[in-house]
Order: sequence, then C-alpha cells, then structure tokens
Amino acid sequence: MNEIVQRVRTLLSTRLKLAKAVDGITDETPLFAPNGLGLDSIDALELVLGLEKEFGVVVEDRETAIKVLASIKTIADFIQTQGKG
Amino acid sequence: MERDPLSYLPHGISFRFIDRILELIPEERIVALKNVTVNDPHLQDHFPGNPIMPGVLLLEAMAQASGLLLPEGSSALLAQVKEARFRRPVVPGDQVRIEAARRGGLGMLHRFEARAFVDSALIAEAEIVLAVTNPAGEAKE
Repeated sequence: MNEIVQRVRTLLSTRLKLAKAVDGITDETPLFAPNGLGLDSIDALELVLGLEKEFGVVVEDRETAIKVLASIKTIADFIQTQGKG
Repeated sequence: MERDPLSYLPHGISFRFIDRILELIPEERIVALKNVTVNDPHLQDHFPGNPIMPGVLLLEAMAQASGLLLPEGSSALLAQVKEARFRRPVVPGDQVRIEAARRGGLGMLHRFEARAFVDSALIAEAEIVLAVTNPAGEAKE
C-alpha cells in the first residue's frame, strides 16, 4: 500500500508539476478544496489520464472522480480495490 | 438536405479557420482543410511584405476542428493548450490539413490531440482541452 501511495505522490508531483506542494501535504489532505491543494477541473482530467496510463485504472465519470480524487489516500484505495498497482 | 457540419461552428465567418471537412467521425476524429491566401486579412500585417499565418491562428484552427468533434449542441471554450509546437511557417498558397482526435474527457472537459500538415509535412501540433459550457456537451466517460 505504501508503495502505491508513493507512486500516487510521484504522479501528482510530475503530472501536475507540484513537487513542493505535494511534499507538504498528508495522505488525507483534500486535493481540490481551497484549504487543501486547491486543484481544479483541468488538474482532475490530467490526473484521470495519468491514473489510466500509470496504473491502468479507469475513472468512469465526474461523480466517480469526485470520490476517487478526494485525497492521496482515496486514490490509493481506489487503485487497490481495482486490483491494480 | 443534411446540414453542413461546418455551420455548427459558432464563430463568425471572419474568425472561421476551417474551410472544408474531409472526414468526420463525431466524438472521435476529424480531418479538415484550411486554405491560406495572401488576402487573408490577418496576413496583411503579419507581417507587412512577409505574410505568415500566425501560430496562434493555427492553434485556433486546430481548436475549431476539435470543437467540431463535440456532442451536437455543445458550446465550448478553450481551457488548456499543451505541448504546442510550430515546426515551420505557413505561407500563402499552403493548404493546411488538420487532423484532430478526441483523447478522453471528464465532466465538462474534453481532451484532443491535433496535428496540422502542409503536403505531407507535419507543421504544427498541440494537445487541446475544450470546456463545454452547456449540459449538451458533458463527457460521458
């Protein structure tokens, strides 16, 4: 699991070019809330494409994306429940 | 009579950078043409005595071609441009062939990869994200 979390962190850092910001957040920090990382919908699309490429998991729609992309932990959990990673 | 797909572009005629659609598979792939002539208004001043189609207008043409792939009834705005490259100037007499393909989307965002060719040479390329501004165009996957 820790390995998946680390790979998700790497994905956030490289795909969104946010290395410093990602180092400063916990696995539970909200990614999209203004008091969290403050990502927007274009970042969400970028993450969905990155997750598909990197882990082979498909985020079907916006509703799934809102749940899955809540935090680093929810992303890692999703990858694990899909049997990937 | 079937409606000309070009008429779905919301742009006025002076800001339309697609002349003809050669191939259109909705929500998948389009091949379109833009003919460049010396009396195109923007070439008068870009540059005086040295007409070159502005790179931003090549991008606009690629974005318009991409927009024609959106679900019918969509209105959209440019949301992101990535990895844009302009490999050589486009000059009067050139016929630009634009190929765009939809590569995923989420909610109101649709992502495209677009390439432009003159003859068989790749002259420009970009990844483009369009944001639809009405419910008709929401991405299904």
